[in-house]
Amino acid sequence: MNGALVTAMLASSLAVIVVRRRTVAIAVLAAQSTALGLIALGLAGGKRTDLLVAAFLIATKALLLPALLYLLIRRTPEARPVKAAVSPAARLALAGAVSLCAVILVPPLGIGDPHTEHISVAMVLIGITIVVSRRPILFQLIGLLVAENGLSLLAVSVPGGLSYVVELGAVFDLALVVTVAAAFAQAIHDDTGTGDTEMLRGLRD
Amino acid sequence: MTSLVPTLALCVPALPLAGMVLVLLSRSARQTDRLALGCAFATTAAGLALAAIALAHGGEPALRGRWYLLDGASGLLLAVISVVGLCSALMSPAFLRTSGRRLTTAARSRSLYYAALFLFWAALLAVPIAGNLAVAWVIVEATTAASALLVAFSGRRDALEAGWKYLLLTTLGLSVALLGIIILAIGQAGAGAHDLHALDWHALQAAAPGLPKAPTLLAFVLLLAGLATKIGWAPVHNWLPDAHSEAPAPISALLSAALLPTVLLIAWRVKDILQPSVGPATTRGVFIAFGLASILIAVPFLWRSLPWKRLLAYSSLEHMGIIALGIGFGTPLAIAGVVLHVVGHALAKALGFYAAMPLLRIDPKAARAAPAGVASESPSTAAAMGVSLAALSGLPPSPLFLSELLILLGGVAGGYVAAAALAALALALGFLGLLHALIEGVIGEDTRRRRRRSREERPILALTAVLSAAMLGCTAAGLLLPSSQFVQALASGAL
Repeated sequence: MNGALVTAMLASSLAVIVVRRRTVAIAVLAAQSTALGLIALGLAGGKRTDLLVAAFLIATKALLLPALLYLLIRRTPEARPVKAAVSPAARLALAGAVSLCAVILVPPLGIGDPHTEHISVAMVLIGITIVVSRRPILFQLIGLLVAENGLSLLAVSVPGGLSYVVELGAVFDLALVVTVAAAFAQAIHDDTGTGDTEMLRGLRD
Repeated sequence: MTSLVPTLALCVPALPLAGMVLVLLSRSARQTDRLALGCAFATTAAGLALAAIALAHGGEPALRGRWYLLDGASGLLLAVISVVGLCSALMSPAFLRTSGRRLTTAARSRSLYYAALFLFWAALLAVPIAGNLAVAWVIVEATTAASALLVAFSGRRDALEAGWKYLLLTTLGLSVALLGIIILAIGQAGAGAHDLHALDWHALQAAAPGLPKAPTLLAFVLLLAGLATKIGWAPVHNWLPDAHSEAPAPISALLSAALLPTVLLIAWRVKDILQPSVGPATTRGVFIAFGLASILIAVPFLWRSLPWKRLLAYSSLEHMGIIALGIGFGTPLAIAGVVLHVVGHALAKALGFYAAMPLLRIDPKAARAAPAGVASESPSTAAAMGVSLAALSGLPPSPLFLSELLILLGGVAGGYVAAAALAALALALGFLGLLHALIEGVIGEDTRRRRRRSREERPILALTAVLSAAMLGCTAAGLLLPSSQFVQALASGAL
């Protein structure tokens, strides 16, 4: 069960890097976060604090943040799709390459499940790749969330669990950062008329 | 005195948080300013009291509680953050009076500015006393949201770009660092330590020799690479010049003088605790590599004709490189240099950013072009700029002259002759670049028509006098540092 959900998380990361529509990307992210929450619930094993963390993950990452992003795209309409800096095929190839790097280069981390270890690290790398290779602000933000989901996957898989203080603190910080980032995205859209980061190239030396 | 530590450790971050709530509840601009200044003085008093206790115990083992850890390095950073925070709070009313366009409406912007400032300050003060690596990470991540809002406070397109870049890059960097922390937690879980306190600094130091080598090395590299983005080390420093140049001047001072060395403290502690597992050659090598890369990338920009705040930002890159180099060398001489450099850089850089306020009032074009001949129009502003730039360039009797000398001698003493020689050459070039900027910008020919200077330049003159005296005091104290127990304890790496 968990193995299939973990693989689904990787597949959804790869989907985010190629999809064009913002609503689809948000839906994929919400599905990925739901899978993460289900994995956390499965690993909680009746432990109250772990169940609380899993519930908090689902509430924040699968519901609250996607809703915030959806609200953002409603308030920042794009007249036409932002031109891609890198073609979808090239982005997918890049994501495949970094995933392969995660499998080859990362030593056994100690959770006893190489599949989860590799996919967690691959998701962090794919998230960074999304930020680097996609121009729209919203996709850069989603790339950040994909990387954070990779981290959460590894965190919930730590034998005995990572401290709930750290997990809840990290999710709280993430919610704070995404809220501020959404405010930035709105302000940038108001100023430039688009969510294309290519318009933000005024600061050069 | 040590009995006060638990109370003070709680009060130091709590006071600015209380300040944040109070300014949000205030009803008028004057009331907001008064509340902010009152809370700033209270925070600084508590911060300096705790710093004094930590520094007095600098040569002893760290004072520890369930949530806090107080050693000499904590004391050093607490003192720096408290003083720079107070100066920034004092300079903020003048900034807000003349800041023009803002991200939010004028009515709310003053309260929101102070609220974000106090939140940022509270987080900064909490990091050096956090007794746990993961908690320190959570607090550093919390600084990002508050400080990004402040970076984009003006609401101009360039400020939004700088704020967005800062938010995204540092959050991604910190995600990479969190991956390193989770890998360390997995290692600790393998040894049977599952709870939050498994990531306490002293618990990690005790467990480090037994941690599995390969994952611990990976964790170290990820932590350093991730923290490097927040410290602004090259080559992951892209946000730094933009954020420092676009943020309000009091915030630029906090970013450069307080945030960068505070995050650097975490990297320093990570080096010390993981060294038994990763090996001294690797840990020192990584710091020396980041240090040299930062200095070498910064120096060419110090020769360019840059706007004032942008020049100071590249100077921050250079100085964070120097501090990294000193930590990498790791000898008592070099660590004495690091201690002096953190304080000297903070004072000189904060003064430089505060000088930008009157500078931009008399010459708004200085926001986009290098200043020229400021002394002929505004001697007070020129004095602040001159003292700051002379100190940052390492001109004697600046504390940074002595600190750089100590770091280089420490490198030679530690056997890192080639790295020290390369750094000395780069620092000499950087010195000449800043000297050129000093001559052209401050005492050179006046080439631009400016507005008349105003009475608002008086605060910068007073601040210049106070910070100059403080820097001279640091130079004198720096002569005693290499033989002090405080430095010996820091160089030993024991917490």
